[in-house]
Amino acid sequence: MLEIQNISKSFNQKIALDDVSMTINKGEIFGMLGPNGAGKTTLIRIINKIIVPNKGVIRFNGDIMSQKHLSNIGYLPEERGLYKNMTVESHALFLGQLRGLTKADVKQKLDYWLEKFKIQNWRDKRIEELSKGMAQKVQFICTILHEPSLLILDEPFSGFDPINIELIKQELIEMKAKGKTIILSSHNMESVEAICDRVVLIHESKKIIEGTISTLQEERKKNEYAIKFRGSMIAFVNALWTGFEIVDKEILGDDKFIVRVKMRGDNKFDDLLKVLIGQINMEAAWEVLPSMQEIFIDLVQPKEISE
Amino acid sequence: MKNSWIIALRELKERLGARSFIVMSVVGPLIILCLIYLLFAMGGQSKQHWNVLIADPANIMEGKIASSKDASIDYSFADGYIETKEFEKAKIYQKFDAILEINEKILSNKTAFVFFREKPSMRMQTRIQYQMERRLEEVLVGQFTRFSISEFRKIKQPINVSFKNVYDPNDESSNIDGWVGLFYGTIIFIFIFLFGMTILRSISREKSNRIVEVLLGCVSPKQLMLGKIVGIGIAAFCQFLIWATLIGLGLFFMRENLFPDLYDASNMNTQQLTQEMLNQSSQEQMFTAREYNEFVQLVYERINFLGMTTYFFLFFIIGYFFYGSLFAAIGASTGSESDGQQFVLPLIFMLFFALYSGYFTLNNPESSMATVFHFLPFTSPVVVMVKLSQGYKIGHAYELFLSLFILLISSLAVLNLAGRIYSNGILQFGHRVRLKHLFRWMKN
Repeated sequence: MLEIQNISKSFNQKIALDDVSMTINKGEIFGMLGPNGAGKTTLIRIINKIIVPNKGVIRFNGDIMSQKHLSNIGYLPEERGLYKNMTVESHALFLGQLRGLTKADVKQKLDYWLEKFKIQNWRDKRIEELSKGMAQKVQFICTILHEPSLLILDEPFSGFDPINIELIKQELIEMKAKGKTIILSSHNMESVEAICDRVVLIHESKKIIEGTISTLQEERKKNEYAIKFRGSMIAFVNALWTGFEIVDKEILGDDKFIVRVKMRGDNKFDDLLKVLIGQINMEAAWEVLPSMQEIFIDLVQPKEISE
Repeated sequence: MKNSWIIALRELKERLGARSFIVMSVVGPLIILCLIYLLFAMGGQSKQHWNVLIADPANIMEGKIASSKDASIDYSFADGYIETKEFEKAKIYQKFDAILEINEKILSNKTAFVFFREKPSMRMQTRIQYQMERRLEEVLVGQFTRFSISEFRKIKQPINVSFKNVYDPNDESSNIDGWVGLFYGTIIFIFIFLFGMTILRSISREKSNRIVEVLLGCVSPKQLMLGKIVGIGIAAFCQFLIWATLIGLGLFFMRENLFPDLYDASNMNTQQLTQEMLNQSSQEQMFTAREYNEFVQLVYERINFLGMTTYFFLFFIIGYFFYGSLFAAIGASTGSESDGQQFVLPLIFMLFFALYSGYFTLNNPESSMATVFHFLPFTSPVVVMVKLSQGYKIGHAYELFLSLFILLISSLAVLNLAGRIYSNGILQFGHRVRLKHLFRWMKN
């Protein structure tokens, strides 16, 4: 769907992107992660032809990306605004027409979305009468109104309450099911983990990692397991020998715990189970995979400290 | 282009609905009509009775001027040469308001000069010229032809009378036609300034409320800038049409109701009129009827509205693009809504300089500086209006088109440079704009 090849961009002497390449496949939700100032927004602006790279090429369905492809893209920037004195409908008409829709099309699609989000009474409201969250919803509707094949959302969840975050997430999953491709740049790791198929991490202008969430977690797992049990904590500790290390524990009740254990040497999960069975009442056991938040911090923080 | 048009229409709709637009549409014409009213009213209050000395060393007029006495002008004759300086300073001439020089060759070169102390009204100028011509006709017919006076009048050539200020005979500023051009130029200046500032404010507001990046996801920066300039330009044009209509209606109302006496010959002194009409052909009656306030005459008779307005629109539209793109570039390069004011000042200075250059051309139409201003793109919209109203010399009409061409090319170049600044500056936030930024963005 979208091939980003060796993109570099600098502003004055400051390098914003350094030889970044990635491929976004059709029908996937692709997460773009990175700390503030990493270069994500610059890359998104380059994809949207808002700024021109110093080097590199972007291909859209095999063609070199040009202005004509913009009508196939829905872009919701991080820094987004609306004309405060315009109504919701006139806003949708204006942005819809800019993206190639006719007036009749816009009205028909707006009806659908207002009804879907149960906000039909907003149609004639001026933007200045809406709360920040309400305006965010209008912006989201205006972005997807022309049914783009590629949706680029920069921090789409900021400004939304948890209910609306869930609503937007569900919409994105529905759109993916319809074959749309979505690029998502977000600091909301929970959402990224929940809906993204693949992610890329950009840090200090460079691509650090790229892959599916499960691959990244698999690559960065620390050979740790969690055990949920009933019984004495002393009995649990006594059962373990030097081949295991307790990393963390969570007290769920007087005799109920979840303990994270790290395998030492060549010990395996089987070995852990063998030493524990009979000593405690085990309720559940599972492999602990790093969350995207942990992977993110793990990859980004050491570099920041070394600076 | 389609997207630029959609942006232009949104901009136009917003402008037309703005309270400031509605207020300016009413207040602007009202102010101009009030000024015109004052000019009309004051124009009618010039000196009513004149003492004119006729210097006629060759005694061509034989001490006579009009067959019937004119109540508003007293003529006296001098049979020697009188130097302008002498007339200006000598005590014996102080009682005269003007001196009419009849040189020996007047019958062949058809030229006479009137040096005045205080500028005579158009009505008074017409009377002096008319009465002198009448007397010269009698002399010519009596001495050189076998025609009757009425036969002679059919073939006569008019005398060219030059009215000059005795204190400053070289001053050309009495060319009232030029003021019409300056008025048109001033209107261009006002509209470019008002709507240029609107472009600047609108762009910096879009930057500060961050809608701009949403728009840039659909259109290129240059399309966005062009749409904005065109939309606000159409709003300016609409406002101009409203102004023109209201001022036109106001002038019509004034002519019909407030100043009928200045326009209608029937309101002249009845006794004087009857006396004059007894001896006048119908052509002369018309001539008499045209004696009214010079501003009224200027506004209702002498402005070639159609010709002037055509070029006005051309220079207004192209000049607006020239300055509008500069305002857009400054608006795009600002870091916040309050930033960038320091770069507006040079633009305002340029606009005021354009206005001054128009005034300069009015007073020095033949100077080389006036020629330079005529071709400079940032002064030409005003200067050409002045030149146009003064009239181009025969064979020099190409200057008008050359100036238009230079302005057009410059506007395209400025639009391109401003587009570069706009593209690079529009997504820069929170900085303080500096000249080096503008130059850097211009190169990219």
